[in-house]
Amino acid sequence: MRQILVIALNTFREAIRNRIFASLVLFAVGMLAVTMAISAASLHEEVRLMKDVGLFLVSTFSAVLCIFVGASLVYKEIERKTIYTILPKPIHRWQFLVGKYLGVLSVMAVQTSVMSLALAAQFWLLEADFGLVMLQAVWLIFVEVVVVAALALLFSSFSTPFLSGMLTFGVFVIGRFADRLATLTLKAAPDQSQEALDRAAAFAHGVAWVAPDLSLYNVTSYAVYDTHLPEGFVLHATLAGGLYAVICLVVASILFSRRDFM
Amino acid sequence: MTASPILTLSDLEKTFTTGFLGALPGFRRLPWQVRGIVQTVHAVRGISLTVEPGETFGFLGPNGAGKTTTIKMLMGLIRPSKGSATLLGKPLNDRAARARIGYLPEQPYFYEHLKPMEFLDFYGGLFPMTVRERRDRARALLDRVGLSHALDRPIRKFSKGMVQRIGIAQALINAPELVVLDEPMSGLDPLGRKEIRDLIFELKHQGRTVFFSSHILQDVEQICDRVAILVRGEVKRTGPINTLLEDGDGGVEVLVAGLPAETAARLGSGVSLREGHRYVVASVEVDAFLRAALEVGGSIRSVTPQRRSLEAIFVEEAQRA
Repeated sequence: MRQILVIALNTFREAIRNRIFASLVLFAVGMLAVTMAISAASLHEEVRLMKDVGLFLVSTFSAVLCIFVGASLVYKEIERKTIYTILPKPIHRWQFLVGKYLGVLSVMAVQTSVMSLALAAQFWLLEADFGLVMLQAVWLIFVEVVVVAALALLFSSFSTPFLSGMLTFGVFVIGRFADRLATLTLKAAPDQSQEALDRAAAFAHGVAWVAPDLSLYNVTSYAVYDTHLPEGFVLHATLAGGLYAVICLVVASILFSRRDFM
Repeated sequence: MTASPILTLSDLEKTFTTGFLGALPGFRRLPWQVRGIVQTVHAVRGISLTVEPGETFGFLGPNGAGKTTTIKMLMGLIRPSKGSATLLGKPLNDRAARARIGYLPEQPYFYEHLKPMEFLDFYGGLFPMTVRERRDRARALLDRVGLSHALDRPIRKFSKGMVQRIGIAQALINAPELVVLDEPMSGLDPLGRKEIRDLIFELKHQGRTVFFSSHILQDVEQICDRVAILVRGEVKRTGPINTLLEDGDGGVEVLVAGLPAETAARLGSGVSLREGHRYVVASVEVDAFLRAALEVGGSIRSVTPQRRSLEAIFVEEAQRA
């Protein structure tokens, strides 16, 4: 466990000392300030608009930053040859991967917390209640990050940053629509073949089955209308995200254990 | 210290499949080869050797001979295609054995955001060492490699020599029994090379085993107890450095004074070099040469057997391959 934490701490330290990362977080916080300006322009809907736009920004920036950091995670170590001095040490390859993953998660936890605090500060300025549902929404955004980071690590364990970034982004987009894909039905026009459309729908169902259901982590509508989430929803979504991340890490570890580092 | 060999390689092989289709499992054992599409490269072809405790072992070979590939197999970075190897009597993936070795890769790159103490603390954290142990050791090593003055500087601001020195410090953070150094002198100026050479000598005096690859033969001759010469993935020569250098006919240097130039020209058929009073004569011809020289009035000043240089052996093997 100690070795995993040592790798995680180093990954965290490297990202935090990276000026690009700091600039992106500052930019994201700056964007949140824009939310306040937009919501101020709306009539009596300031708080709702701020919740809507604020959660959208926290979620989008978290996912984009996670893909940006995660996609190059392993590749960078190989490219810069830093991995050559790590793997010969008394450490399993999976420990290295899990350490890198936890490092990224800790970075993302800082980023999501900073943005969420900035959002909460705006509520405080407007003397509005941040509320439990907003806290749950922020937590679920972080769980989504847990899943996206695991996907990025999986793709990063065998491909280049560009390819793993594209693959992660692709699965992220599919995952956001996974609930709709899973129930997709296509009706043929009178002059079309229903069989082909059924096959397309079956394919969509298959994709939805493999991709993570990221729609679980978007509860903005509950937050905006101050509706309580169904009982056990947060726990269920958290466990589902955690399980998906573990599966990704196991597959990544298997692929990574077979690699030669030339 | 371990009494049995500290490092053994038995028929170790590595074959790569390169090219566009080479990454796909189904294409790895095709009988045909198309350059750029699918091609098999035999990087290491059945290497067998042993390294004894306390030895300084030089692993020599021209570029592309397979030195780094072999070292990477030993370090668990590349899986051997065939054969086996042991580190401190244990299989290559044994973590307890790994905890007793130190490794510096060729042209190392390190986490540039770290400062020297953080850097060594990070590597120390990968070994079963207490915080106090690794901090004390880090301080001592930084002092030894002459980096105590650069404690506040991140590694990105280090010169090449400083990077190499901190690289050696990370390889020694766990006080290893076996130190594996891949081209430790490569790219360093003469002063930097001397510093690394001194460090290796020091490790030797501490009783540690050093296995290092190099193509800077001058350094190898000074440091090593034994060497192996690797050419195109095969060990061509191996043995104690003195035996290798004395092996074969390097000739005998004879200094003869008092010979007129026209007489000297007629002396013996085994003369391979003639420079003023200095003659280099084939060993088997030296008696005849000395007799002839005395007969024509020459005065023998010295007779010295010539040692072959490691470079000569190295070039000979490379050319033969």
